[in-house]
Amino acid sequence: MKQTPQLEAIQRAMQPGAITAEGFLGADPRPLGDILIADEAAVRRLGLSHARIAGRMRELAAAGSRGLGLPTAVPPHFEVAVESVRGKLPCPFGHAGVYPKTNVVVRNLASGRQIVFTDLNIHLIAAHGFYEGLGSPFRCDPATLAEILEIAPEPPEAPAAAAGAL
Amino acid sequence: MLTAFLISVGVLCAINTLLALLMVLAEATIGNYGSVRVTLNGRRELTVDGGKPLLAALKEHNVFIPSACGGRGSCGLCKLTVENGGAPLSTELPWLSPEEQAAGVRLSCQLKVKRPLRITVPEEWLSVRQFAARVAALRDLTYDIKEVRLQLIDPPTIDFKAGQFIQFEVPPYALSDEPVYRAYSIASDPRQRGEIELEIRYVPNGICTTYVHRHLKEGDPVAFNGPYGNFYLRESDRDILFVAGGSGMAPIKAMLHQMAHEQNPRRTLYIFGARARRDLFLLEEMREFERRLPRFRFVPTLSAPAPNDGWTGATGLVTDVVEREVSEVSALEAYLCGSPLMIDACVNLLKKKGLPEERIFYDKFA
Amino acid sequence: MNPQLGWLTVLFAAVFTNNILLTNYLGMCSFLAVSREVKTSLGLGAAVVFVMTATSVLNWIVYYRLLVPLHMEAFRFIVFIIVIAAFVQVVELVIERVSETLYAALGIFLPLITVNCAILGVSLFMVIRQYTLAQAFGYGLGSGLGWLAAILAMAGIRQKMAARSRVPRGLEGAGITLIVAGIMALAFMGFNGMVNLN
Repeated sequence: MKQTPQLEAIQRAMQPGAITAEGFLGADPRPLGDILIADEAAVRRLGLSHARIAGRMRELAAAGSRGLGLPTAVPPHFEVAVESVRGKLPCPFGHAGVYPKTNVVVRNLASGRQIVFTDLNIHLIAAHGFYEGLGSPFRCDPATLAEILEIAPEPPEAPAAAAGAL
Repeated sequence: MLTAFLISVGVLCAINTLLALLMVLAEATIGNYGSVRVTLNGRRELTVDGGKPLLAALKEHNVFIPSACGGRGSCGLCKLTVENGGAPLSTELPWLSPEEQAAGVRLSCQLKVKRPLRITVPEEWLSVRQFAARVAALRDLTYDIKEVRLQLIDPPTIDFKAGQFIQFEVPPYALSDEPVYRAYSIASDPRQRGEIELEIRYVPNGICTTYVHRHLKEGDPVAFNGPYGNFYLRESDRDILFVAGGSGMAPIKAMLHQMAHEQNPRRTLYIFGARARRDLFLLEEMREFERRLPRFRFVPTLSAPAPNDGWTGATGLVTDVVEREVSEVSALEAYLCGSPLMIDACVNLLKKKGLPEERIFYDKFA
Repeated sequence: MNPQLGWLTVLFAAVFTNNILLTNYLGMCSFLAVSREVKTSLGLGAAVVFVMTATSVLNWIVYYRLLVPLHMEAFRFIVFIIVIAAFVQVVELVIERVSETLYAALGIFLPLITVNCAILGVSLFMVIRQYTLAQAFGYGLGSGLGWLAAILAMAGIRQKMAARSRVPRGLEGAGITLIVAGIMALAFMGFNGMVNLN
């Protein structure tokens, strides 16, 4: 599907060397618009929303930042290490605002699995529903996030019947 | 038949040529803004090519305005006060507070110079220069920190205050066409004006650090501009507390060089935070400073020493050591350099101990 | 083409009964891409009005005073497009000089107007229907206004839809917009018969 010029410009800002060394799209051949639509579908299938996922990520990052880089225990069974370096990155979606360069490493001690994300990831998910392309070093697959961070689906909405009508 | 064909083609070519000439004329008249005068701070006058963004025009006249995004309007660092620049564009509005908008502040990368402007540039930016240098030496300080020594070529010397930083230019990658700038503090002695030392720590997925750690070689040309920053040793008699970790050592080291040269008698404590022994470096240099400055004490602390490190020194986070070692703050100044989280934690701790905010200094470059 | 029709009548018809977008379905790509927001739609629509009117008149002059006397009617496709491209280029330079804000707001869309088939379509219809100069002016202006009206209406509808409707995922974006455009076209068919331009 053809993209608007705006999405084209954003996709260019996501290439390696524009904002980060490896870019935000990895080896994904799909246009940005398709990536956004596919991940949105995945999030809905999990019964979650971008806001809920980003909120949980933010919660864990805040709890872990107390350790100043050391792994910090976060109940019920997580270990979070937050490292930050100097400098800020702009968002590839082109609006104002720069984001600190922090790496949040979350280990789920119960399952033994680990995931890494950045402050910019949290913003990209919350504000743009963007989880990065397949193969990108900071790809946050919604299903993986939900599993490792143990994000529960929202309680079902009352007027669910409106979905298919008319 | 043939004549008709030839006439048609001829007329078509004539129309094309005419319109092309019209384009050239339009470009030369409507699109040409001629030379425009820009007045800096009421006293310096520059004549720039009209139509260019102010940021680029100033750069051509060796006035360097900080920018981290190469003029795309996505970092907000290039703000200048412009008296008669007109209303800000929609791309600038998110970066300007209502007070700034009322005062005529614009992003200089978005403002195209079309008529005479009167602008205000902070004085310290006027002494910033662009430097062409060459990599004189590369040394691994730890497994992820490289010391980069640059020999200045043009201009051949630099004047800076210990603690200031420069903006290192990373050449454009294959797919991007603009250079990227990243800030690094100068670690070398300010008296050594022909060379500067930088300490660059590898950050995964970082454009500049990947370039420095994977591609930069001895003899390569490097461009940078500077010096920038308000992080430097203030003149006073007060005791000094330095807190730094990792590549945050750089500005502190420059300050120590200056202090050693001046035989500065102020009592100084330097708390250097790292994870394990492999993150420590330049320990010999620090011992040398302890020898040359009798009232200087260097305290490295490891927050997570490895079992076979055999570490007998201080342990814990820098905040733990600050908590332990700092009691009397009435005659104290603190200089902090390191990760934003560490700086925030230390600032809070020191303020809780009673150290007023005006005596806590840290480098806040974006 | 009935030369009796005054240019105002032609204008009226171009907006309602022969709307270049809703009746002839020309000029769809920027219509689909820009009609998300009322403000940008207004800016782009205004630019299209200006370009359509001016190029309609310019192309009339080029056609009847240059191509027809030289029996070069077949070249009209190439020549019209070249004239349109040159004109838009000059307009871009002028806008950049006069209003930085407008230039930044229109951005990429200015050059995109050049390849908007509605602009070429207006010039070609003018030839097919053998308009006089006054009628060409009215037709260009009316088509521009009709395009503007259509894109404004669509932007308003889409903004309301974004807030309230639950569009099925498969139809999001271009899908639902085309359906809405179709419904709008059906509505405009109600104007049929008021004026006959053909």
